[in-house]
Amino acid sequence: MDNKGKSMKEIRIESVTKHYGTIKALDHVNLGVNPAEFMVVMGPSGCGKTTLLLVVLGALSPDEGHIIINGKVIDDLPLEERGIGYVPQDFGLFPHLNVYENVAFGLKVRNQGEDETHKIVNELLVMVDLQGLEDRKPQELSGGQKQRVALARALATNPSVLLLDEPLSNVDEATKAEVRVNLKKIVKRTKITTLCVTHNPEDAFNLGDRIAIMQSGKIIQCDSPINLLKNPKNEGVKRLIAPMYTLYKLEGAYVQS
Amino acid sequence: MVKDRFGFTMQILACTFIAYMLISLFYLYFVVGGAWNLVGRALLDSRVLGALTISVSSAFIVGGLAIAAAIPVAYLLAYKDFRGRGMLETLLIDLPQTFPPVTEGLVYLLMFGRFGLAYTFTAVILAKFYVSAPFTVSFATRRFREIKATGLDVIARSLGAKTRHIMGKVLLPLSARDLLAGFSLTWARAMGELAATLVFAGAIPWKTEIIPSLVYLTAETAPEVAMAASVIAETLSIIALVSFRWITRVRA
Repeated sequence: MDNKGKSMKEIRIESVTKHYGTIKALDHVNLGVNPAEFMVVMGPSGCGKTTLLLVVLGALSPDEGHIIINGKVIDDLPLEERGIGYVPQDFGLFPHLNVYENVAFGLKVRNQGEDETHKIVNELLVMVDLQGLEDRKPQELSGGQKQRVALARALATNPSVLLLDEPLSNVDEATKAEVRVNLKKIVKRTKITTLCVTHNPEDAFNLGDRIAIMQSGKIIQCDSPINLLKNPKNEGVKRLIAPMYTLYKLEGAYVQS
Repeated sequence: MVKDRFGFTMQILACTFIAYMLISLFYLYFVVGGAWNLVGRALLDSRVLGALTISVSSAFIVGGLAIAAAIPVAYLLAYKDFRGRGMLETLLIDLPQTFPPVTEGLVYLLMFGRFGLAYTFTAVILAKFYVSAPFTVSFATRRFREIKATGLDVIARSLGAKTRHIMGKVLLPLSARDLLAGFSLTWARAMGELAATLVFAGAIPWKTEIIPSLVYLTAETAPEVAMAASVIAETLSIIALVSFRWITRVRA
């Protein structure tokens, strides 16, 4: 599924604000994701990053601001008509359906023909390296396998953009590095514009083409991983990216010596 | 010498209660065991068979109607946020189970009597439905809420699913067991309902007379008939509850 001739889409988040009661979860957030870019929003838990994802998805409506995909304001489009691929933190596989049926779900509800569905699902299963596991139920899969099923399911309907919520938090530590490399490879191969949120600096720096640092409902800095390391805007950013920053400083010192 | 006296006393009290409940449950079978030939003959009595037919058929219809009502109501209660939802839930689920059935029978007599519904088979169903349906509504609502908490409906929508797909491909398959469990409790409750049916539908043999009304009406005049009918009613209710246990255990 190499996005066959489909033009790549950009996401623009314009001045989006969202309150929960008196708490400001999102405070005039502005963020642009370029076509085919892998954007990671990174911040501590409770900073508003999942809220941001759900607003783009259409599961929450913002109090103010606009979501624009490829120049089109989609504020009033219901969730099911947005055509956005979504992989939640727990992967959200349908527990009563097997791997094949999970991936085929979106095609079935769109009344895609049986042959076409079969072809698309098989292509995707090959791409995410799950061929042979079609009949397994989600309970019989590892965290990494579940993630790939969820990814294949989200990509099956050829969405305009992809949203990933903490894609690696439910994957075993032992296989995490490998799963991360695979995830990036798959996303890059489909050239789909991706918005991913995570609290984990290591994931953010390994996955993101650019990283937006978020705190208390605001984006404080958005830049490429290397620029973030070279020029963290302030102490807050430095603290949030601390593990990577320390590594960078150490490696820098090593290279210099 | 018992070291933990308080704990020991608690156990004695618990055992007394358990023995009391179990004896109450099985006493009828002991009595009937002693007069089996009388009861056996009563079982073949046309009036008993009529009451059994009306009881069982109306309970199945009530169970089916309860499922049909529970699905949209549970969807509303689980997925829609509106003022007074908690109150509505109490009115729909808790109140009918504690509302005096005899009063309910009277209400229906006043409400539907003028339409010629009193003393009909339909009256039996209406009378039983009010007290029994809440079990299924309650099970369905709880399950729909559990499913909602998993966010599967949001994922389904992101894949293009409309409400009808979410109902047919996510909610119903995932709550089939709960609906069945609710059905078995609704069925058992419908089998046991007496007062509302008696007031609103009367007790016309082969038309509106159900097992409980037969027991009530024959307890003094023909105790062997009452006993035969009771044995049937009790056995069926035990079967329904064992099925319920089995259905819920399989899910766990």
